[in-house]
Amino acid sequence: MSEASIERLKSKTTLKDILEVATEFERTARDFYAALAPKVQKNLRYLVQELAEEEQRHYDLFTQMAERDDLEQQLQTEVERPVNDHKFSDCIHLPDLGEQPDDQAVLQYALKREHAAMEQYHSLAQSTEPGAIHDLFLYLANEETKHKNELEKVYYETVHSGGV
Amino acid sequence: MSIRDVLSPFTAWKNLFRDPVTIADPLNERPGAARYRGFHKNDMDKCIGCGTCETICQNGAIDMLPVSGVPAKLGDSGLRPRIDYGRCCWCALCVDVCMTGSLTMSNEYKWVESNPDLFRFTPGVDKKHWDNAELGYQRHAEKHLTPGERVEMPELEPAARIGSFTEIVDGYSIEQAKLEADRCVSCGLCIATCPAHMAIPDYIKAVRDGDYERGVQLLYETNPFSQVCGRVCTHRCEDSCAARHEGDPIAIRWLKRHIIDQVPQEKVLELIGKPAAPTGKKVAIIGAGPAGLTAAFDLARKGHAVTVFEAQAAAGGMTRYGIPEYRLPYDALDKDIAVITAMGVDIQYNQRVGTDIAMQQLQSDYDAVMLAIGLHQGRSTRIPGSDHPQVRKAVDLLRQITTGEKIEAPKSMVVIGGGNVAMDIARSMARLQLQQHGEIRVTLTALEDKAHFLADPVEIKESLEEQINILDSRGPQACVIDDSGKLLGLKTWKVLSIFDAERRFAPQYDESDEQIHEGEMVVEAIGQMADVSLLGNELTEKLEWNRGRIQIDSNGRTSENWLWSAGDCVKGPDVINAVADGHRVAISIDSVFTQQEAKS
Repeated sequence: MSEASIERLKSKTTLKDILEVATEFERTARDFYAALAPKVQKNLRYLVQELAEEEQRHYDLFTQMAERDDLEQQLQTEVERPVNDHKFSDCIHLPDLGEQPDDQAVLQYALKREHAAMEQYHSLAQSTEPGAIHDLFLYLANEETKHKNELEKVYYETVHSGGV
Repeated sequence: MSIRDVLSPFTAWKNLFRDPVTIADPLNERPGAARYRGFHKNDMDKCIGCGTCETICQNGAIDMLPVSGVPAKLGDSGLRPRIDYGRCCWCALCVDVCMTGSLTMSNEYKWVESNPDLFRFTPGVDKKHWDNAELGYQRHAEKHLTPGERVEMPELEPAARIGSFTEIVDGYSIEQAKLEADRCVSCGLCIATCPAHMAIPDYIKAVRDGDYERGVQLLYETNPFSQVCGRVCTHRCEDSCAARHEGDPIAIRWLKRHIIDQVPQEKVLELIGKPAAPTGKKVAIIGAGPAGLTAAFDLARKGHAVTVFEAQAAAGGMTRYGIPEYRLPYDALDKDIAVITAMGVDIQYNQRVGTDIAMQQLQSDYDAVMLAIGLHQGRSTRIPGSDHPQVRKAVDLLRQITTGEKIEAPKSMVVIGGGNVAMDIARSMARLQLQQHGEIRVTLTALEDKAHFLADPVEIKESLEEQINILDSRGPQACVIDDSGKLLGLKTWKVLSIFDAERRFAPQYDESDEQIHEGEMVVEAIGQMADVSLLGNELTEKLEWNRGRIQIDSNGRTSENWLWSAGDCVKGPDVINAVADGHRVAISIDSVFTQQEAKS
């Protein structure tokens, strides 16, 4: 296990570290979907493109947040590492969906990621004191929840459609 | 002139001090009797604009007119009765026939206006001082002009039907059909609901009149699949039937079947007549399901040469390979198809486009190409263990049953799904189990609770009668496999809710309520998709898509001007919608040919 990985498994971490992981989380996902889009059949491309756009939006949000002067001090605050942190970090590792994954495989992967992110931000919101950072994590948790709900709707319409 | 003559007028003065016998203010002090047939009222919440009041009025005093703020919707024409008191005789037939009881009469009878035009008014819309009158004439609660109960359809009892794939529904006798047809008030609300806009009140009238040949002509004006739709149509028309408000809806589907059952096949062909003279135009249609064959029928009738490429050994698409024979016998389906082929439609069987013949070939050999490939691929839950060989997809099994392939029925099995396909496979496998093992052990698990099952209520009722163990609100979690690799069953959790407050799919489970349902086989019946691989990469890239489905315009034309698409693969599963789609595409293709002819 690398030094970095051991560090990640420590029970305490800083908000800055969490934010870096979260930003990386969104960036890798964006790049993954962006790279996947030209590979999938055109009939599924809309789905992958929409996912890439959503991740880009979140990435921009996190980047802007890290650059905010008013949050710099708070980002150094040490917080309890969320219990779901490993799941969240796991999602940074990209899956092998094959050369031409179908819509269901893409959606299942996206849902898993959104779920992990949602749990992560909820936990972080709970472990921070009321204030700007707390509100920020609540906002992020809400964003991920909304996206997860939208994806679940798409999943139902896509997979549970026809022949019923 | 005598003195008597002068004084006699004054003798009347003696009455000056008597009590009056007339009523001083008769206009304001004489309420009508409790059931007096006075001015009309209309409950706007109950009125559905069926127009039976207009039809029955012997004086032509009622006109159905659009009203601002009352839009047309399923089961409501959006029209409301306007009454002309220059014509009305207050006979109250309009009230007696009202299908919802919305139209009543107050006991008010006085109305003074200087403008006579105001005596044409729309009750319930034009506010009147009698709108809140409690007394007046209403239809007797139990005396309806039309019987409320549907004539029951004779069908095989569960014990008699479960041992075979014999058709369950017998069909109406002539007497039964006439009784049922007599209940229809010909309001026509059903026409708007039917995707093919079939002339429903007219063909029901044909049943009443016993004029079945006229009935067949009416059916074929809008639907070449009356045998099929007379048996398995989703019959949404009955959801908008005016009769359903105070009784059972008219059995429209069964009456359609009754008509087509009464006329011999040769006579049907004679009634439809010959197609038009050949035009020299050639159309290729991919898929011999309801959408493809409806378009083929229409185009052939116009004189165009139609070739249908069908991957299977027989035509019908999902109506043959997805619907069990006990609901739709193959010979009934064959009758519909025989009429279509009699129009000159050439069906090339066992021809899989993309394998046996390329799309590019069709494009170059034909003047127009239509894609109607249905939804023949089953979806999987992809829960752990779902890749086990004994975890099957319902559509594949149903296809195997139709083709007569030998199926080793498991002694116990679990079906995942709560739609019609799930019921179909559960009931089909139950029949095979009974034949092969002498007992039925089929468990069906659905995400939905019973009140929200996606299957037709009749399918659910019949499944229960056939000993299918239906478990609602169960979410599949894993297919259980033992160490030797043998499938043991399905693990489910209790579903607490499927949708969130905004009706979005967000299943919530009670993980503590876990059950293992025993099954040597698990069958997934959760959804279907189209196999679009026949298009090839090049055409897939060229085409415009709409969220996973081929993008079409309102006429069914794709972004490639030589290619149209219709039916389940672009609109979702439903026979009558596929028929309507087929018509639209045929009209569009014929219109393009006509324009080409005009230019040349």
